[in-house]
Amino acid sequence: MTMRGRILTSPPVTVLLVALAWLAVVPLFNIEPRYLPPLGDVYAEAVKLWPDLLAGFWRTFLETFIGFIAGALIGIGFGTAFAYVRLLERAFFPIFVALQSVPVIAFGAIVVIWFGNTILAKVVIALYLAFFPVAVNTLRGLSGVNPGRAALLSSFGASNWQSFLMLALPSAAPVIMTGLKLGISLSLAGAIVGEWFGDTVGLGVLLLQALYFEQVTRVWVLIIACGLLGALLYGALSLIERRYVWWQFD
Amino acid sequence: MAIRLNGLRTALPVGLALAGLLLAWEAAVRLFGVPAFVLPGPSGILVTIAEKSNILSAGLLVTLTEVAGGFAIGTFIGVALAIVLVLVPPLELMAIPLVIAINSVPSVAFVPLVLLWFGLGMASKIALAAFAVAIVVLLNTLQGLKRPESEAINLLRSFGASRFGILFRLRLPAAMPFLVTGLRVGLARSTIVVIVAEMMGGYGGLGQVIYQATAMMDSLTVWAGVVVASMASLGLYGLLVALDRKLVWWR
Repeated sequence: MTMRGRILTSPPVTVLLVALAWLAVVPLFNIEPRYLPPLGDVYAEAVKLWPDLLAGFWRTFLETFIGFIAGALIGIGFGTAFAYVRLLERAFFPIFVALQSVPVIAFGAIVVIWFGNTILAKVVIALYLAFFPVAVNTLRGLSGVNPGRAALLSSFGASNWQSFLMLALPSAAPVIMTGLKLGISLSLAGAIVGEWFGDTVGLGVLLLQALYFEQVTRVWVLIIACGLLGALLYGALSLIERRYVWWQFD
Repeated sequence: MAIRLNGLRTALPVGLALAGLLLAWEAAVRLFGVPAFVLPGPSGILVTIAEKSNILSAGLLVTLTEVAGGFAIGTFIGVALAIVLVLVPPLELMAIPLVIAINSVPSVAFVPLVLLWFGLGMASKIALAAFAVAIVVLLNTLQGLKRPESEAINLLRSFGASRFGILFRLRLPAAMPFLVTGLRVGLARSTIVVIVAEMMGGYGGLGQVIYQATAMMDSLTVWAGVVVASMASLGLYGLLVALDRKLVWWR
């Protein structure tokens, strides 16, 4: 990317540009508030909604975060098991790939029947959604390990465990990171939709209420809040990736 | 013969595992007397699918129409926008921040807004699916179109190729694999967003069937709806993979 492109896509500049475009476009094209309310109105609505918004933001963040961490750990565990036990992979991996394309959010209703209107129900949905991409990418990363390097390590007398820690895991890490980034967006979507099946706090709850009362300005406040949460979670992962997983194996 | 044996060798473990899982599920449900509202067995779900086949197939038709319509429109918009942005670089610089901002919002968060704009009919679901697909396809295609190195572009240009010539000879073929990845991700996203939108507000579709069954605590129909929706999205995914093999034969 060019220097100019990099500056334009840095987060603060992006936010500023989008805000400026919003300010300019609404009066310029005389857009009805039903479609896009003026930015000032959205800001006023956000101030009015502030305590609820903050509580909802925190709640949805917690659901996403706990579910994502649990889903990622289980996913890495399953992916590793698949990578080292061929029979397990041959028997179950295709089922996993198939399950990945299932519209899991439809299970939301069932999960709420199981766990009630608790935070646990949303955590489970977020977990389930993060699990599949992480498991699939862990397997993909681990089975992409250069066999020559593995042979070299074992010729130096490295144990299986050492070889896993020093070679397999580091070479799989970039691919696993891709899976984690896919998983975190899905976790967030799962948490938001999970709240629709019955809860009192959360960004998803506020979205549903705003829909029922047809408050377009409030819907926009919540869309921005959801985008902010998504960008924060994704950004944190990208930061970790740049800081700790900066190498890129062939 | 060898090929058939090979196919059998890959299909056998999967088939056995699937059969084992289903049997264990059915056995556990019967053995422990799990009530149907907690977890119905596979046989119960199958019977329900057969009993409610009228409602389910009507819902499936609506959902498939919405997904297919939105997918086609979204793909077209995404590819067209990507081509325009590549041909007019200043436009790309202006549009990219907006696209990134929109992409960081989970597409389900747009459901209430689109329902308010387009009403509860099929139009709102088609718009949502098109939107979800267009963003992914746009970002992927753009990445693919910009893939050819500047040397290759300069070489073609030195032979007198126009912008469009470079686009059709170099950029579009290079973008094909990226487009296919975008289509796959987009298909998964659009099925989810359509079903979620039907649950939130709609006159028909599998999402609405699942939602109504949930409201009436009819857990067997919920499961039947989920299974049919899953089979449908698997079928769509398979169709896309088959299409991919036919189209991107040069890989």
